[in-house]
Amino acid sequence: MPESILKPEELRPVTELAHKALEQLDRILLGRKELHRLVLIGILSRGHILLEGLPGLGKTALVRTIGQILKLDFKRIQFTPDLMPGDVLGSHILQETTSGKRELVFQPGPVFTNILLADEINRASPKTQSAMLETMQEHSVTLLGTTRELPQPFFVLASQNPIELEGTYPLPEAQLDRFLFRVMFDNVDVDVLNQIISERRRGELPAPTWQMERADLQTLFQTMGRIYLPGPVSHYIARLVSATHPGAAEATGPVNSYVSYGASPRAAIAIAEAARANALVAGRPSVGFEDVKTVASPVLNHRLILNYQARFDRMTPSRLVSELLNQLDETGLNLPKDVELAHA
Amino acid sequence: MNSTHATALQSFARNLQWLLTLRLAVQLATVWFFAWGVVILALRIFGVQNIYWLTMGLLAVAPLALVASWRAKKQRAPLTKLRASYDRINACGGIIMSAETHDVGAWMLQLPGVATPRLQWRSGRALLLLLSSTAFVMITLLLPDRLTHLPGRRPLQIGQIVQQLQAEVHMLTQEKIIDAQKADEVQKQLSQLQDDSLGYDPGKTWEALDHIKQSDSDQARQAAQEALDKTASMADAETLAKAMEQAADSGMNATTASQAAQDLASMLSAAKLDSGLLNVQIPPALLAGLNGLNKEQMEKLLQGLEANKSLLSMDMSNLANLKMIDAATLGKMQATGMCENPSALADYLCSCTNGCEASVCMHPGKGGPGRGGPGAPMTWSGGASEKDLKFQEHAMPPSAHLSQAQLVGVSKAAPQLAGSDISAEHGVLNSAAAGGGAANTRVILPEQRQAVQTYFKRDN
Repeated sequence: MPESILKPEELRPVTELAHKALEQLDRILLGRKELHRLVLIGILSRGHILLEGLPGLGKTALVRTIGQILKLDFKRIQFTPDLMPGDVLGSHILQETTSGKRELVFQPGPVFTNILLADEINRASPKTQSAMLETMQEHSVTLLGTTRELPQPFFVLASQNPIELEGTYPLPEAQLDRFLFRVMFDNVDVDVLNQIISERRRGELPAPTWQMERADLQTLFQTMGRIYLPGPVSHYIARLVSATHPGAAEATGPVNSYVSYGASPRAAIAIAEAARANALVAGRPSVGFEDVKTVASPVLNHRLILNYQARFDRMTPSRLVSELLNQLDETGLNLPKDVELAHA
Repeated sequence: MNSTHATALQSFARNLQWLLTLRLAVQLATVWFFAWGVVILALRIFGVQNIYWLTMGLLAVAPLALVASWRAKKQRAPLTKLRASYDRINACGGIIMSAETHDVGAWMLQLPGVATPRLQWRSGRALLLLLSSTAFVMITLLLPDRLTHLPGRRPLQIGQIVQQLQAEVHMLTQEKIIDAQKADEVQKQLSQLQDDSLGYDPGKTWEALDHIKQSDSDQARQAAQEALDKTASMADAETLAKAMEQAADSGMNATTASQAAQDLASMLSAAKLDSGLLNVQIPPALLAGLNGLNKEQMEKLLQGLEANKSLLSMDMSNLANLKMIDAATLGKMQATGMCENPSALADYLCSCTNGCEASVCMHPGKGGPGRGGPGAPMTWSGGASEKDLKFQEHAMPPSAHLSQAQLVGVSKAAPQLAGSDISAEHGVLNSAAAGGGAANTRVILPEQRQAVQTYFKRDN
């Protein structure tokens, strides 16, 4: 618990920084304000994000733009089936020194960056995918017994294509769990398309007019740590994650019917962090229930393992989470069913 | 926390407390009314008719309200949850919740306006149940007494039967068929049956009533039989007396007259008119001097017999009116009371020069030669007609035709059966062996007979 809650004058400049970053993103990439907000929340939460969408929707552009705005180092790996772990993490190369002595010198891979775009991550072999586990969780790389820290901050923004699944390797649950969000890229509407056609000749993106300094980013991270998570909200997050497990006390009927395995404690931590970031972006010093509801779906929808019955009934994790959020009483007041609470 | 928000939060907590108390009170009252209604119904069925005390149960609503208040207070949600609910409803973004542990005074101005959350209770079902339970308890209180009796506790409707039996007993007493003491006992028994009989166990009542009815009927039947016998005796005596009166005028000799008088005396004595259920009173002076009754005394005797017959007939009519004896018995009584043809008997008495036994002529089957066969009623005039009489026909067993008889032999000795030598022959192929196996015996049907005969008659 922080010693004191943030004061308005302390929080306001930080929120403005976040808003400026969002404005730049919205200006450069048209028509995806909610998505940009989620990605920024993910970055403020220091989480990795899995972007899922069809080719050409702007996944790479988004990541590149974020790198530019945040003034962070950005690298991209195009994952292919023959990509080896060494291609990602780096490898030791036998080199001759000036003294004529030969020794193995570590050549860092593209993972040594601030923002790593793992494009079409599901096309890499499980071996290569597994090489990412340590980098994503520990922010370090261990080769030949030597652990090397990755530059901070470190984010993996991975993308995967929901179609053309031939020759792909679905991400294991352990790796999926390491992504804070799974964000869906939807098609933009006609007006946005028209604006893109008019303003983006040959797909060239405008340069950002404002960039965040490293110090500002650190301030954002520090402020994140001071956003207060009230006890009832924390309890709500715990109940929410618990309710994703079939057979739990507050599990809903659809959860019991369709879910094989619910979300992990890591998901609860992710919701809490993301809710904090959402409160910060909203300019509030404390987390409310609405913050949890905003981030719950992208946090949980790739963490619920559904059974075959769900496939037959075309039940999706997003729908399950949505129903769960609607049915679970946030405050745990447990009013009788015939008593309703409404805004005056 | 801002005082206005604090006030609104307190108001919210208070409203919630009141609402939950009211809701619980309605539920408890509903349950109580249903339960108390059942208790009232049960008590009224088992005889408690004091509505005033039963109504007092409705006052239990007041303690129930206190119980509801106490329980609602005990189950009151902690203030943290109420604060969280207030925060959520007013979209305060966690600031109200944070106010519990932090100073958020600087953020209060940025919160939306104060609004106490609105509590809405969908009370339709609960109130409907309360109304139903209230109506139920009112109905149980206002239900008429006759509807609260169990069918088994209702008195058995035997008034009409008891009334009829009482009339029968009264009639039997009046006719002196049963004595007054026994009649009183039966009347008391009937009254007690009418008072104590319950629909719960009607078998015993019906059994007792059947017993009394049977007893009355037996008494009446016995009296009717006695009256029948006495009437028959008196009718016979009356016939003989009238015959004696007529024969005396026609020159009956003294010996016959004396013998007839003895017969009359023995006839009246054997009838035992002064004993039994129905006493018949004949003046004893007349009975004592039957041998020397003059005409006037004979008339008195005849009047006495006639009067007693009428009395017995009237008694039987009374019993028949109450259906204690059937119409056939009454008709038989009236037929028995008819006097036979005294003139024929008078002629017979006159014809007896050496004296004759007049009483034998009064009993059937002993009339002697020329006076009717055994078993036939004795009459002194006319003869029995055989018109429209039919004998019962019996079919005799058919006798076997002689042509079907089988000659076994001719002997003077008693015929002897040949035993197994005599057997029925059903066909020539029986027991025949052909090809190592038994021949198949078939019955030749009539329509096949011609074809078989033609086959055996062919030339080749």
